[in-house]
Amino acid sequence: MFASLPTTKVTMEKSFTDMNKVGSRSTSSLPPEPVDILQSKTCFRRVRLNVGGLPHEVLWRTLDRLPRTRLGKLRDCNTHESLMEVCDDYNLEENEYFFDRHPGAFTSILNFYRTGKLHMMEEMCALSFSQELDYWGIDEIYLESCCQARYHQKKEQMNEELKREADNMKDREGDEFDNTCCKEKRKKLWDLLEKPSSSVAAKILAIISILFIVLSTVALSLNTLPELQDTDEYGHASDNPQLAHVEAVCIAWFTMEYLLRFLSSPNKWKFFKGPLNVIDLLAILPYYVTIFLTESNKSVLQFQNVRRVVQIFRIMRILRILKLARHSTGLQSLGFTLRRSYNELGLLILFLAMGIMIFSSLVFFAEKDEEDTKFKSIPASFWWATITMTTVGYGDIYPKTLLGKIVGGLCCIAGVLVIALPIPIIVNNFSEFYKEQKRQEKALKRREALERAKRNGSIVSMNLKEAFARSAELMDVVVEKSERPHDNHLSPSRWKWNPKGRAASETSSNRSFNAQELGSPNEARVSSPQRLNVQKLEEMYNQMAKTQSQPNLNAKDRSTRAGKQRDEIELGAIPDHGPTVLGTREGVGDMKSLSSIDSYISCATDFQENPRFAHSSALDHGLQEAHRFSHSPAATLVQHSSLKLGQQTKVERESMLFPTSVTKPSYSENARKFFFSGNSSKSLIPKSGCRSEGESGPSPLSDSSVLSDRSLLSPEVSAYTTASSRTPPKSPENAALAPTVFTFHDSSISKYIDADTDDDEHLRDISDTSPSEHLLAGSSPKRSSNINFQKGSNHLEVAHKMMGQNCLFSMEGIRGVAHENHVGPEMTRRPKLERGCQNTLDKSL
Amino acid sequence: MWTVPKPKYGAGLCAEGQIAVNIGGVRAVLVGDVLKRYPESRLAELLRSSARDSDVVPSLCDDFDPARGEFYFDRDPDAFKCIVDVYYFGEIHIKRGICPVCFIKEMEFWKIDQSVLDECCKSYLSEKEEELREIATKVKVILEDLETERCVTRAQRCQRFLWKLMEKPGSSLPARVVAIASFVSVLVSAVVMCMGTIPELQVEDAEGKLVEPPSLEAIETACMLWFTAEYLLRLASAPNKLHFALSFMNVIDFMAIMPFYVVLSLTYLDTSSVMELGNVQQAVQALRIMRIARIFKLARHSSGLQTLTYALKRSLKELGLLLMYMGVGIFVFSALAYTMEQSHPETLFRSIPQSFWWAIITMTTVGYGDIYPKTTLGKCNAAVSFLCGVIAIALPIHPIINNFVVFYNKQKVLETAAKHEVELMELKSGREARRKSRD
Repeated sequence: MFASLPTTKVTMEKSFTDMNKVGSRSTSSLPPEPVDILQSKTCFRRVRLNVGGLPHEVLWRTLDRLPRTRLGKLRDCNTHESLMEVCDDYNLEENEYFFDRHPGAFTSILNFYRTGKLHMMEEMCALSFSQELDYWGIDEIYLESCCQARYHQKKEQMNEELKREADNMKDREGDEFDNTCCKEKRKKLWDLLEKPSSSVAAKILAIISILFIVLSTVALSLNTLPELQDTDEYGHASDNPQLAHVEAVCIAWFTMEYLLRFLSSPNKWKFFKGPLNVIDLLAILPYYVTIFLTESNKSVLQFQNVRRVVQIFRIMRILRILKLARHSTGLQSLGFTLRRSYNELGLLILFLAMGIMIFSSLVFFAEKDEEDTKFKSIPASFWWATITMTTVGYGDIYPKTLLGKIVGGLCCIAGVLVIALPIPIIVNNFSEFYKEQKRQEKALKRREALERAKRNGSIVSMNLKEAFARSAELMDVVVEKSERPHDNHLSPSRWKWNPKGRAASETSSNRSFNAQELGSPNEARVSSPQRLNVQKLEEMYNQMAKTQSQPNLNAKDRSTRAGKQRDEIELGAIPDHGPTVLGTREGVGDMKSLSSIDSYISCATDFQENPRFAHSSALDHGLQEAHRFSHSPAATLVQHSSLKLGQQTKVERESMLFPTSVTKPSYSENARKFFFSGNSSKSLIPKSGCRSEGESGPSPLSDSSVLSDRSLLSPEVSAYTTASSRTPPKSPENAALAPTVFTFHDSSISKYIDADTDDDEHLRDISDTSPSEHLLAGSSPKRSSNINFQKGSNHLEVAHKMMGQNCLFSMEGIRGVAHENHVGPEMTRRPKLERGCQNTLDKSL
Repeated sequence: MWTVPKPKYGAGLCAEGQIAVNIGGVRAVLVGDVLKRYPESRLAELLRSSARDSDVVPSLCDDFDPARGEFYFDRDPDAFKCIVDVYYFGEIHIKRGICPVCFIKEMEFWKIDQSVLDECCKSYLSEKEEELREIATKVKVILEDLETERCVTRAQRCQRFLWKLMEKPGSSLPARVVAIASFVSVLVSAVVMCMGTIPELQVEDAEGKLVEPPSLEAIETACMLWFTAEYLLRLASAPNKLHFALSFMNVIDFMAIMPFYVVLSLTYLDTSSVMELGNVQQAVQALRIMRIARIFKLARHSSGLQTLTYALKRSLKELGLLLMYMGVGIFVFSALAYTMEQSHPETLFRSIPQSFWWAIITMTTVGYGDIYPKTTLGKCNAAVSFLCGVIAIALPIHPIINNFVVFYNKQKVLETAAKHEVELMELKSGREARRKSRD
């Protein structure tokens, strides 16, 4: 098997040596008997734990202190299978157990066993520490109070940041055009008016707009100069005719701008509600109201009243200066800061109000017996207290008695103190927000540059970098927040693939292959090819993102026809589970998928759709849908923003292909693997069958060589592949797989904890992963919304479980919705898809 | 293990009085002479007893490996690496990253005195310990609340209920209503107090004096009655009466109520003509000022105000510094201004104490303009005093602000930490109870 593939032999051997390093357990030999394991455990009082390369030694007795945690279970495991469930690898002769986890966090966790006190490493990220805790099966509630404050502070901060990020994402995705009438023109107009950085014309328009604002405000203030004012027939001062013309022109411009914006806006109501647009409207309206009032009341004799109303509306013209906020990030962040720190502003006003109250009454009692004093009453001395506390000091009122002067002096100092105290907090908010805004602007520019570069020619390296940057920002959100429910589906695979794999065959490759499958092994066979997993993960991310951002979307979809169909599919899936033997063709089909990117993509879509074909009675409908879906990248070409996304995903897939294909130790083995999976698979029949008939031409060997050649073309990628093929200690395949495991470990773990903890703890774990979150929910609204998301997805999960179905199929059903979203009017899903894809990609790389 | 013959601990001693230890998987060989520098430490004791093959050895270490001749300790190797420094350098530095509280526990295990901890790390430790103390006080408060259920008698339960109703606005809906009512009444009484001084609203009484209108007085009385009822209910329900009466908030409450009743009794005495009229009037006036204290009652309802008081309490030293700077500045600049302005015939600076006022107003950058220098020298002096004032205020204010911000940010986190602590305690006690029942 290996001799036929000299090029990949090295890698393969490497993986085998890795496997052999396990010591007594070589890949060909049988797993050790329970007797051996028991013997080894009784022989040694101590145990060596190798966590991520750092050796630790600990007494078995110590581990017994927490019998329900992962390490505690290690003691009770007497069979190979159960041991492999708990640890990643072991060596009985050396009495060493290997865990592929972060070594830094483990030190503090092991100390928890030793001392019963859980402390946290200072420099550790709170989020990653909580993940480690989940893995080791320890509840974060055990964290000692000295470290807990810091832990929760960091977690809170993180959550807030993630929330903000999510909001921004939603905003960015908000401007999609779903209405039909002259979509393109409106889109163009919208870009022209709303996005000054999108084109030169838009920039010029923005500058003109700013000039008009400045001009109109200058005119407004010049109008009040007595030298420039005219007198009307009643002897009242009225507007200068030239300035009135300027005013009219400006207002005409503003009106036109507002109307065009309104017409081109994708969501009218949202546009109407937007704070900037409200300001625009307020800047225009007074003019028209004034005209209306003066025209309609010309003959009538309520002159004075009308005049007063007109005056008020004239004052409202000042609002147009706020229109500048549209063109200035600084002003916007000021507004946002004030909105965000209303708490602190309230505090400032409260402090000032109390100070004013106290000092004005004090000074009133001190000064009231003075001759012709100006402190006539407490409300009258409010003014004095305000002016003194803010250290303005006009000098129109000042104390004259000695007592009054003492009070005045105290008032000055107190004022300085009281105003200075809450301001740093507001300043902090402002600077944070400003930084964030700047960062976003930069990110937006980078993305646009990237888009342009991609249009000119593919830049894989940039793409990868971008993907990394993005995922670094978002990945944690995803995993931490809403992945949990899904992860629970995954947990069986995490824990059960090992025994299964060994039962099927003793080879390492097969074992790792099984590892990739999602869901429990029995049913996971249904979806065999490796890359389908990538697709699946992608879909899961989509799904997750959807539940997170727009929970109601699902509900809406569910009510539609498509939703109904999906239900049918799901129901149909339950009885259909009997294994059918049909593997080879599907395996070939998969090989072909590697031959070219385009075919890969189409193949991937096929795989996505296939399960539906297998179970859905409405076959032709599904076909049509598949058709539509495969065209979706093309459809996106129509739209400016979606274009980039489509391309990006494409390139991503391209880049994704290289590493996986090259690191694969042998192609024929691949085929064999698929054969294996095919044995029990039952879906994917019609489509892939057709495909394999059509284009199963190129031999597997030549395929892989072609691919490696291609990968050499781009240095980035080749470097990447070598890197991935080098990753010790597991076989390259395992390295490629690790992501599935790592991405989701935390859910598998939460389940683990569930199983672990005492009964009452168990209850709490189910209701909410941690009580802290529950507590925090009360304190901050942001937090609570997060929890809601989680809950929402939890419902989903529960629903699936109630169907008594394997996760794969429930996922399938949900996925149907996702597809329709790509195709249908709701292009909003597109960016999310892309993001999900990137995330998975990163992980898999 | 008991079937195994007692191992020869002496084998653990290598040549030249060295001892091999294995701390959580990390092997170290230590020189016996060095260990003896701290004879009461665990390692020194181990060295002594192992030389004698004593029976206490198993109590000192967790395991002994005769083949390799090393003593095994089931402890944190990282902390040990720091702690072993004491034998060589006589002082210990906490490794960055290890929680100091945890580190102290390790030191206790190795029987090393805390005093050898270096100064630089001690501040770090004390910071943590203070935080722990704060959490502990919060935990105590929470635990006290939880004790409600344990009250047996009816009276006790009633008292508990009342206490919760009055003191814990978050506990129930009625409690929140009470809190809001009390907040509103504070505001109303403050507004009424201010309104009562407006001359246009005042009415003349029988002796031709301006007094508050009866409607306002009625509102004032109602508010006062509410305050009194509140205070009395609180006092009645307080578990510790003395503690209650002396606490800051309740002293303010008392100050807000007291003037009303004193004035009432004085006027009653006044009518019965026991005391001289003028004295009574003055006393009433003085007591009226004390009505301002009711504004401080707002602090009960605003965590921000509590933070302010806490921050001010914490930064008394800085406040003193601020006042001292100001005092020195005022004295110096008023004296200077007075002497410089003497040359001007129509000077506004008549004496040094009078120019104190000018110095305060200038240094705090208020500048009323009632007194201002007229000579050139005086003006220069005023400019310098203004600059010095800005600096004198800005410098000490920074730590105060810092205290405020830190405390403001920490408050919420500490609250959650305390709640967690309580849960942890419950968890542990629950486990112990379970273990006991199992046994």
